[in-house]
Amino acid sequence: MKNKPHLDEEALAELRDVMEGEFKLLIQTFISDSLERIASLKAALNAGDANAFCNMVHSLKGSSINIGAPRLGTICQAAEMAGKAQELNQASILLIAIETEFQIVSDRLRALLI
Amino acid sequence: MSIQTHRGDDGLSLVISIDGRFDFSTHQAFRNAYEHSDPDIQKYIVDLSETTYLDSSALGMLLLLRDYAGGDNACISIENCNNDVRRILSISNFEQLFTIR
Amino acid sequence: MEEPAADNYSLKVLIADDSNSDRLILKTLLIRLGHDVVEASDGLEAIARFEDSTPDIVLLDALMPRMDGMETARQIKVLAGERMVPVIFLTSLSDTDALARCLEAGGDGFLSKPYNRLMIKAQVHAFNRMRLMHQTLTEQRDLIGERNRQLMEEQEVAKRVFDNVAHTGCLDAANIRYHASPLSIFNGDVLFASPRPAGGMLVFIGDFTGHGLPAAIGAMPVAEIFYGMASKGFDGADILKEINQKLKRILPSSMFCCGAMIEADFKLNQLLLWNGGLPDGWLIRASGEREILPSRHLPLGIRSADQFDAEMDVISAIPGDRLLMMTDGVLESRNSGNDLFGETGIARALDAGGRQQHPFDAVMGGIRRFTGLQGGNDDLTLLCLEMVDEAGFATLSDRSIPSALPGPAEWHCIYELREHTLNTFSPLPLLLHICMEVPGLRRKSGEVYTLLTELYSNALEHGVLNLPTEWKRTPEGFERYYQERERRLRQVDGHFIRFGLYHSLQSTGGRLRIICEDSGTGFDFQSHLACAVDGSPTTARNYGGRGLLLLKRLSKSLVFHNQGNCVEIVYDWHSSEISSNLVESQS
Repeated sequence: MKNKPHLDEEALAELRDVMEGEFKLLIQTFISDSLERIASLKAALNAGDANAFCNMVHSLKGSSINIGAPRLGTICQAAEMAGKAQELNQASILLIAIETEFQIVSDRLRALLI
Repeated sequence: MSIQTHRGDDGLSLVISIDGRFDFSTHQAFRNAYEHSDPDIQKYIVDLSETTYLDSSALGMLLLLRDYAGGDNACISIENCNNDVRRILSISNFEQLFTIR
Repeated sequence: MEEPAADNYSLKVLIADDSNSDRLILKTLLIRLGHDVVEASDGLEAIARFEDSTPDIVLLDALMPRMDGMETARQIKVLAGERMVPVIFLTSLSDTDALARCLEAGGDGFLSKPYNRLMIKAQVHAFNRMRLMHQTLTEQRDLIGERNRQLMEEQEVAKRVFDNVAHTGCLDAANIRYHASPLSIFNGDVLFASPRPAGGMLVFIGDFTGHGLPAAIGAMPVAEIFYGMASKGFDGADILKEINQKLKRILPSSMFCCGAMIEADFKLNQLLLWNGGLPDGWLIRASGEREILPSRHLPLGIRSADQFDAEMDVISAIPGDRLLMMTDGVLESRNSGNDLFGETGIARALDAGGRQQHPFDAVMGGIRRFTGLQGGNDDLTLLCLEMVDEAGFATLSDRSIPSALPGPAEWHCIYELREHTLNTFSPLPLLLHICMEVPGLRRKSGEVYTLLTELYSNALEHGVLNLPTEWKRTPEGFERYYQERERRLRQVDGHFIRFGLYHSLQSTGGRLRIICEDSGTGFDFQSHLACAVDGSPTTARNYGGRGLLLLKRLSKSLVFHNQGNCVEIVYDWHSSEISSNLVESQS
């Protein structure tokens, strides 16, 4: 899980190329959406709703992969599988890993905008 | 269905053989058979030995050939018809227009 | 790096994804490719956007709140109806079950995350091609459907026009049975029947080469010629000549019309038949005996006028004799084993019907049993004409629509035929035509025509040709009579027949006086008149045949002049008999 990079520089370069002036908006959107999702993931775990957890972490996985954060995507996928298997303990451990990784990713993405 | 042509032994006649059904589907092929023949052709032989069926549009095609070959002066013989084919030709009295053998 | 602004086409693309950042990426990519984008953030919104913006392609995230991608895809496919709207799933799904469910829900393909610019371009392009192909197919299908509908409509109109020209004539007469498809004209089949002004009837049955409109087009002039000439009193041979000449002129040389003309004369008890290219006719005698009447002529529309042979075969036939004629659809009926009905089928059906069953029913029943089709084949025409007693056929006369114009009242004319024209030309249609200009005579066309016909045939056959009537009383003599008639007609040098027609008005109507004179030697009319006046049927039959008696019965007076080679008759018509008809027809 640690072998993937925090950020895929090449993918980000292409995104910047495609998005042109809207690159900044994209990064901001990703960060604020993901923060919301992480909060919802916590709520789902507290409620013991594995199904809702699965769906939300699946979405976070998709947008992480698209934004060029492959390591975050990989952790999300592991969390999705844990959720599917109803292993809520494992899921809550992975959610902490998601938060940590997201912190790193969002710091680095913000740095790209300066 | 297939249509084949060859020169007769005398070199002046064109033999058109029709294999299978002689009906509207052979229209273009039949026309091509005589329209693309040499200009020195003087006599046409329609060989129906391999023809299994003949309908009224085939009779029409024979009339077109007759026109092409000079109308009343045309020299056309229809040869080797089986009984069914011969019967259709004789109901229409085509022996008045063609030599039928 | 600048993406080229699409390959000259711009699509409206609906993107439904609950992830704002993913949607933003996809939207930007598609706009750079030159497409318009409509966005939705969940399934329900996607359906609403689909309905109000009718996109060309839909990109759907598989997992969305409120309504997931699969249900959305299902509903969108229903809403799209016949329209082909490709639905592409946007997915980071990895298990094949989930992917398969997407396809089952109506998905047409996948785009996986992370998005790849080239993949998106290629996919959208490929699905657009598929969409356009489907659209083209649908349009062509609709076009074909529409064309077919138009064609059916046009055929319906054409048929109505044709029916007006080719009305059924007297096909409903009691002595005729027939089967013809209501749309038979588009199979190239025609069937006409008309009463003759002097009694008897003419029937034409024909079969044009080909199908559809080309086959139907030739039928129109044939109908016009047939009905036009038949009602004016022309005979079968004259009508055949005219039809042949017309068809020869208007049809391409590969097209022709197989046909038969039947002229039934109930007075002389004879059938005249011309068969050019139709299957054998069958004459079923009242006695049960059968005779085959094969085609002896080329079909109509092939020979030029000078080579055309319109001579009709004369067949003596008595009441109860029936003539069957048919188009080749009858012989070509097939059973489930693909065998042909053929002539043997007809013979078998007639055998099975025996003496009791009407031959028409026997043959129709035979075809139905053979083909297994209860409705019968629609591609065949079958006719059966029965010889009847002259008296039983009296009511079929004039049904023509009278002209509203007032005609000539006071007039006379002399018309003389000379030399070999006596052999080649019948003056009857012309003379009838002149008389029919008088409205008062028009309603009496049958009687007038009979008068003219009897006078003419008397003058020609017994006057000019000097043929003895007794010959006609035996079958052998009948034959001899017509052979001799043919022979003597070629030797009419120095002969003539002169008609004088005089018409004037009277207080109660009008009077037509006809004087018919011929170059023959005449006959002993004194003794003939005497016996006609005393009405003794035995002596009357020995003299002059039924013709003179008929003249006497129809006219007010009949007088012979010279040596009997000049006959004068007076025919009166009364306005009271016709006024009601005229009022009716003009209102």
